[in-house]
Amino acid sequence: MSNVNRLKRQMLRDLVRENVELIEGQPPRRERRSAGFRLTARVLAGVLLPFALLGSTRFISSFQHPVAAPPGRTAVSPAPAGRRAVAAKAAEVASRFAAPTEPVDAAVFPLAVRKVAIDAGHGGKSVGTHTTPLGLVEKDITLDVAARLRKLLEADHFQVLMTRDHDEAVPLEKRGELANKGSADIFVSIHVNWIENRKARGVETYFLGATEDPVLTRLAADENRDSGYSLADMRKLLDRIYQDVRHEKSRKLAETVQASLYRSLRKSNPGLENRGVKAAPFIVLLSTEMPAILAEVSCLSNQQEAELLAKPLYRQYIAEALAAGVRSYADTVEDRPDKPDASQTSKKGT
Amino acid sequence: MSEKKEVLHVGIDLGTSRSSISASNGQRHVVESYVGWPLDMVARKVLKKSVLIGREALDNRSMLDLHRPLEQGLIKEGSEKEEAAVRELLWHLLSLAGVTKETRANFKVRAVVGVPAEALRVNKQQVRKAMQGAADSLMIVSEPFAVAYGLEALLHTMIVDLGAGTTDFCVMNGRLPTEDEQRTLPQAGDWIDEQLFRLVRDRNPQASVSIHMVRTWKEEGSFVGNSKTPVIVTVPVAGKPTQIDITNEMRQACEGIVPPMAESMLDLLSRVQPEFQEKVRNSIIVSGGTGLIRGLGPRLEQELAAVGGGKVRVVKDPVFVGSDGGLAIALDAPENDWERLSS
Repeated sequence: MSNVNRLKRQMLRDLVRENVELIEGQPPRRERRSAGFRLTARVLAGVLLPFALLGSTRFISSFQHPVAAPPGRTAVSPAPAGRRAVAAKAAEVASRFAAPTEPVDAAVFPLAVRKVAIDAGHGGKSVGTHTTPLGLVEKDITLDVAARLRKLLEADHFQVLMTRDHDEAVPLEKRGELANKGSADIFVSIHVNWIENRKARGVETYFLGATEDPVLTRLAADENRDSGYSLADMRKLLDRIYQDVRHEKSRKLAETVQASLYRSLRKSNPGLENRGVKAAPFIVLLSTEMPAILAEVSCLSNQQEAELLAKPLYRQYIAEALAAGVRSYADTVEDRPDKPDASQTSKKGT
Repeated sequence: MSEKKEVLHVGIDLGTSRSSISASNGQRHVVESYVGWPLDMVARKVLKKSVLIGREALDNRSMLDLHRPLEQGLIKEGSEKEEAAVRELLWHLLSLAGVTKETRANFKVRAVVGVPAEALRVNKQQVRKAMQGAADSLMIVSEPFAVAYGLEALLHTMIVDLGAGTTDFCVMNGRLPTEDEQRTLPQAGDWIDEQLFRLVRDRNPQASVSIHMVRTWKEEGSFVGNSKTPVIVTVPVAGKPTQIDITNEMRQACEGIVPPMAESMLDLLSRVQPEFQEKVRNSIIVSGGTGLIRGLGPRLEQELAAVGGGKVRVVKDPVFVGSDGGLAIALDAPENDWERLSS
């Protein structure tokens, strides 16, 4: 009995602490870092972030060899001779932190999520997948879901950046650039799937990576069609970013959003399959400098899902699931201020 | 001159379908989580109330703007009406325990409110906001943890709280469960209702069926496995009361919940330290109103056979087990801790 009482006392202490943190608006203890740790992390981040975000081996390569340029692009020149000693030292430092067997711990970079880039897939002449009987076109669905997601996130005090907010063609690499220039913290690209097996349906979420799966290779080739990059180019580029912080955070974001999509949508779509989180070489993700994912939110090739997609309510459910995923991810990585609490405001006023 | 106030500890299980309160003055009540406001002046005159709650609201729903303000165990977002409905519901529960808006000043209310295991911080903040003014101090806990605490099942135990909106899982390892030790599934009582509604409607397209009727049928006749007695219900078909046999539909709808439950149980079990897995497997406790599905315990035990077997116990008083657990926490928390949790 005394053992039970001891356990109870310990649990109550933890429970009270957790609730006090909630009242004070602090993140859970395990997510917080001491001031000393934060300072160290900031210093480390200052040194490492450029390497990490660019992909260290890519950075080293830029000192040693011209980066293989995609067709129609200019290759990066080697560093001038006078800077080679500094470059070699930098490369040595970078390589120490970026050895492929020792990925940088993403927890070292307590990056906050304030601004979300929403990318409505396709647009303009790039219509994406489409189904004749219902007249549904991927570019319209993605734009509609993106607009709904924007409203939800703004209501939750996120800043939102749209790569397109009307029916226009935006080049794939330009979408990432828009997010980069706008200093977005995460990038969410919305797409609708088409699967040859028309009975298949479900949701799947991608983050950037190479794949040996011929189905995914074909899917990526379809989505990358307008980019001008070949798959060989992609593989070279991907090899350089594997071990960076962004890669790990992208995977985490993909897992969180996928879980939310599946959990929320299967209620109104009982036959929904969880097609999982996968790595695939999408150009639109490659051009970003922040954690980035591509969510295939439904399958237009499946009759039942196409019918659901035709309903505004279902598209709203998709947007809500994506928003919940983003929120959940933001909650896990940082101390995001919650919505202004009216009760606390009035308390201050009295 | 300071006035001496009576301290009242309460545990509240704010559920999607039913909400219950257990109070330190011995009061225990459960209400259906419905809140309705009269639609117009006529309705107000007939009903003679400005707001109706629980069964009373459900029975008079044709005259009401009826709300079920919780969805998957959480306050529905984005609607002031839903927030107002939750506040009414909470105040109603408190009034059943003896604290009305008029007598509130005479009490010091210490409340523990249960929320789904995977509720986010923003959801918890919503609950705090809804409780503003109703309690002097508030603690928010995960529902399965409240159940575990109330049953003193704190070590090497798995709690499965099968409610209306969510099924919550929690492994108790002698400490406050972490996120990795908890799961929330959307498949719960409401999900079964929807499946049953669809199955009955598909098989009897002429029958007039509502989700409320289906919910009542499920509460009276839900089962998994074999049933000795058929489930016969009466529904209007072209206006004529007609008996239909929904035994197969009931079985199919209820059994649909078993695979995701088994998957979550096995997933959580696989994360328990290997030396304790057998202990946890043999101490699985099912609580919550939907946990009363006949044959559910043995059916889940069948699923556990694949990993060496286990024992599943369904609690006898699933309606109050959450609020009783909340009350136990409220009573055990030291007074100085309650002061830190003032709202």
